[in-house]
Amino acid sequence: MEKNSLEKNDNNVMELATFFIGDALCGIDILNIQEINRHMEATWVPQAPDYVIGVINLRGRIVSIIDLGKKLGLSPIKKSKNSRNIIIQSQDEQLGFMVDLISDVLLAEIDKIEPAPANIGGLQGRYFKGVFKTKDSLIGVLDIDEALKNQ
Amino acid sequence: MIFEDDETLQMYIEESLDHLSSIENDLLSIEAAGADIDEELVNNVFRAAHSIKGGAGFMGLSNIKKLSHKIENVLGLIRSREIVPQPETINILLKAFDSLKDMINNVEQSNESDISEHVVSLIGLTSASLPDDQKESVSGVFYIPVKNKKSVLEAPRFDIDQALKEGMTIYLIEYDLIHDIQRKMKTPLDVISSLLNSGKIIQSKIDIQAVGTLNEDIPSRIPFYILFASVIESDIVTALFDVDEKYVHIVTQEMFLTSPPETLPEPSFEAAPGKDTSAEKQPQVTFDTNIEKNSEKEIPEAHEFDPEPFSEPDMAESKQNKTIKSAAAQTHLRVNIDLLDSLMTLAGELVLSRNQLLQGIISDDTRNLEISSQRIDMVTSELQEAIMKTRMQSISNVFNKFQRVVRDLARELKKEVSLSIEGKSVELDKTIIEGISDPLTHLVRNAVDHGIEIPDERHKIGKASTGKISLKAFHEAGQVNIEISDDGRGFDGDKLLVSALRKKLITDHQASSMSEKEKMALIFLPGFSTAKQVTDVSGRGVGMDVVKTNLDKLGGIVDIESKKNQGTVIRIKLPLTLAIIPSQIISLGNERYAIPQVNLNELLRIPAIQVKDRIEKVGDAEVVRLRGNLLPLLNLSKVLEIDKTYVNPFDGSTMQERRINIADRRSKHSPVFENEETDKTEPEAPDMEPEVLKEPGPRSESERRTNIKSALNIAVVSAGLFKYGLVVNQLHDSEEIVIKPLGRHLKACKGYAGATIMGDGRVALILDVAGLAQMAKLTSLEGSDRVSDAAKKKTMAQKEAGDKTSVLLFRNDDEEQCAVPLGLVERIERIKVANIETVGGKKVIQYRGSSLPLFSLDEVANVKPLPESEQLEVIVFTLAGREVGLMVRPPVDAVDVAVKIDNITLKQPGIMGSAIIENYTTLLVDIFELVRTINPDWFDEHQTMQANMEKKHTVLFAEDSEFFRNQVRGFMEDDGYRVIEAEDGQIAWNLLEKNADVVDIIVTDLEMPNMDGFEFSAKVKGDNRFSHLKIIALTSLAGDEDMAKGTRMGIDDYQIKLDREKLIESIKSRLAD
Repeated sequence: MEKNSLEKNDNNVMELATFFIGDALCGIDILNIQEINRHMEATWVPQAPDYVIGVINLRGRIVSIIDLGKKLGLSPIKKSKNSRNIIIQSQDEQLGFMVDLISDVLLAEIDKIEPAPANIGGLQGRYFKGVFKTKDSLIGVLDIDEALKNQ
Repeated sequence: MIFEDDETLQMYIEESLDHLSSIENDLLSIEAAGADIDEELVNNVFRAAHSIKGGAGFMGLSNIKKLSHKIENVLGLIRSREIVPQPETINILLKAFDSLKDMINNVEQSNESDISEHVVSLIGLTSASLPDDQKESVSGVFYIPVKNKKSVLEAPRFDIDQALKEGMTIYLIEYDLIHDIQRKMKTPLDVISSLLNSGKIIQSKIDIQAVGTLNEDIPSRIPFYILFASVIESDIVTALFDVDEKYVHIVTQEMFLTSPPETLPEPSFEAAPGKDTSAEKQPQVTFDTNIEKNSEKEIPEAHEFDPEPFSEPDMAESKQNKTIKSAAAQTHLRVNIDLLDSLMTLAGELVLSRNQLLQGIISDDTRNLEISSQRIDMVTSELQEAIMKTRMQSISNVFNKFQRVVRDLARELKKEVSLSIEGKSVELDKTIIEGISDPLTHLVRNAVDHGIEIPDERHKIGKASTGKISLKAFHEAGQVNIEISDDGRGFDGDKLLVSALRKKLITDHQASSMSEKEKMALIFLPGFSTAKQVTDVSGRGVGMDVVKTNLDKLGGIVDIESKKNQGTVIRIKLPLTLAIIPSQIISLGNERYAIPQVNLNELLRIPAIQVKDRIEKVGDAEVVRLRGNLLPLLNLSKVLEIDKTYVNPFDGSTMQERRINIADRRSKHSPVFENEETDKTEPEAPDMEPEVLKEPGPRSESERRTNIKSALNIAVVSAGLFKYGLVVNQLHDSEEIVIKPLGRHLKACKGYAGATIMGDGRVALILDVAGLAQMAKLTSLEGSDRVSDAAKKKTMAQKEAGDKTSVLLFRNDDEEQCAVPLGLVERIERIKVANIETVGGKKVIQYRGSSLPLFSLDEVANVKPLPESEQLEVIVFTLAGREVGLMVRPPVDAVDVAVKIDNITLKQPGIMGSAIIENYTTLLVDIFELVRTINPDWFDEHQTMQANMEKKHTVLFAEDSEFFRNQVRGFMEDDGYRVIEAEDGQIAWNLLEKNADVVDIIVTDLEMPNMDGFEFSAKVKGDNRFSHLKIIALTSLAGDEDMAKGTRMGIDDYQIKLDREKLIESIKSRLAD
């Protein structure tokens, strides 16, 4: 397995970090992720779009935290001991989004990623680059730029 | 080649720009001095041109070299007083320097730019000053063959002639780039600058030809020729050059050839790009023909030859393959070495402190931790300061160019303008310096173009023909202030108004209520330009609004003040730096916010008990009364819509707020009142209305009112010219904060200027004061609308309530509250009853060596006698030139009240009537009547005395309130005036007509039935019989607007109701006028 991951570029394989938004199991390329934290005490920004939970201080940078549930048209993420912020780099800026639960990291062969259906667990298909099937689950590979687009 | 590397070139560019930066002002001073030449100044400019030339020759920047050389020639002639610097001369020089600067800024293209125009005019200058036979020497060239004529050095004849004339010896030095320079760890620039200390470099050249081709032997030398002129003798000069003696040649007359020797190798000449030669060719060719005609004897015969320079184009070509970073993009910053050293020290210190801190943490040593945290605190603030300093630049960088701007513009517009500059040493952050350059230029140009009149016009209105513009920079309150003032024609507020109306930038309604300052502010509206004709200079319709936007971006505030025909002052306030700003921290709910100190004018705390009186409501707008002005209020929580929902902290549920608008809160009298207590118990709902969140516990209105925490906190902020009050929950400290940008999802929120990180690591948002005002649709114009509406309402309310006045409340008996007008009171003393003496049936007390007569209210009026006690308060009045004391019981308190006087029910001797003050029926004491009853002879005496002293003046006094009428009449009579009383303006007018010959002065109230004070005054002033009479208005509403209105009606002075001394003073001085 380890060997595999080292050779993933050659073999057209990517590592997917998976997490739950509501009932939907989503994944993004782990290389997009800068860090995952549970920095929950965000500062609320009045007048901000409702999907913005607030801003946090990430080692001196102000990072907006987005409720991916709300942003994608689902019910808001419920803060719990399982919820986490995933910090990514998007369009020259660090952004965080909150997810309900972090799941495994797994290897996915890019060839095996299939086009997304119209809907995954209530989420619209346009937010996905495709789906990846494992033995016991279906992972929606999130198009993070689309998902975090500023409306 | 070593000398072509980026760094050398970059250094040369920086150095040259440095030289150039000071030149402009020097040239202008030279111009101002005229024939009285300050050699030092000329030398400065000369040296600058010279070093630019020296470097350019070396770098192969032929155009720069050529132009700077011609400039140098002209300057040399100015220095030797052969040319008197005329404005025209200076103009040519300035333009030449401009073009030089352009070329240096764009060094890689410099060889292609066209400088022929400058060269021709410069040559024109030099040749004009020379005797005819020398004229050709100006543009001539000598050719000096070197090293077996394998190469040739071409030098301007003018220089050589000048040098020889000055008795210099000319040396040809042959440096070797390999042995003499590189091996000795020098750069060619070092050599040049060391030579410049002791003489003059006429020409320099690197000989590529000498290196030969690959077919020949590999050369051991790369010769670098310098033609050097110096007064130093030949025997010691080699030491200076630091080269072997055999490489130094003295150039003798014979060696100067007027055309290149024939043995010149040709091939490279053919290859030279022709682009940059055409400009050079011109003068040289003409010169060559000149030489034919009058060849000089010391110059040997030479063959006609096209003196195409060849080595320089070669170098230029090689340069073209390289990309050189344009100097215009500022990528480098010069930092003082000392500063850099201190930064290094601080960095070291920081590392040590960190070690100490780590040590402390590991060993769990609290004391150590404390010490190291203190140290880190100190080091970081020092570090911060030092790093800020590296970014600081003197404002002279911007200011210096204005002398030139003003001069050129004034010439162009045929105006006479002098510019004075103050505070050049003020420093600002680099980004700000860069940012203010354009707006300032615009303002200065505006001042010359629109502000200063043409000399004729100035003469007509009695001003000196030279207009004055002054630029001033200074520090104030942690900000940099820049003032641009001129003594020109100024703005006419009303014209601005008309213009704005015509352009439909404002509505009629808005226009009617604008203050002078707001009228001035109109100029900042987009699409506003006042110039009657659009000139080339300014007034392109994109003027002041752009200035304002640019300054806004820098966090600056601009303020304009102007008087017609007296000039304009524009004040700009700028933060020192943009990165770190002092801010006031406030809180709302459980979040903190920062208001930049720049925007903050003051903090206002209105005690709960005063909220009712000071906060007023007009339509949906709240205003606060602040020192007589009405200030629009914004409730932060409402603007940010924080109060729409709130989360119940106990069960986490979200509740909808039921309040519909802000005025529903509490009572009508305190629309913006918020309760801190609610905040405490329901932190998520800071300003929930008590009615909604009513707690089970009893909490009466009065309890809340008196609770010290229920005070209203207002941050008075200014956005541009316009101020408003921001109602916040809590005010905290002022802190220095670091501005951080907000992410793209939050860009749409106008209310924030960014975010910052607080000491505890949490994020606080920085409020954008102007943005908030915009969000609340509170603009300057609208604000004034509301305020003027509010003022009107207020006046109405006051009319209904009766006049407001200050009275002194006291008790005669526990149940009897009495009052006297505060204006009559001299002072209040506390005495011991035991000290009262009864002499001759009258009570007195010794006071400062004399006896103060005392009396009590019950001596005259039918009130209860003073209860017995050990101590009493004595209210001291001055009446009929004497002091008397009225004994009363404490407490004595001064209050501002609107008294509605009932002068019938309780009237009796010594009591003029009653009023309800603070829920008590209060007796109003008529102090004059009291004293007159007790000591009738005092007044007779006093009056005869006064009458003897001077003729008695008669005052016509109009006042509708009997209370005031009595008081004022009392003390006017007391001071020896005869008083004719009238109840309103109409009666006053009738009385005036009847007593036309005796009335000397008029004192009138403003608010009166039938005919008010304004109307009355206008009528008096409009009548020839009475227009000479002075009118003093006595009013409790001395608002600016009223004053202005009154002044229009001819009122001469304003006095606030019942300030006795001031009124008497005013009457006296008006009578004396």
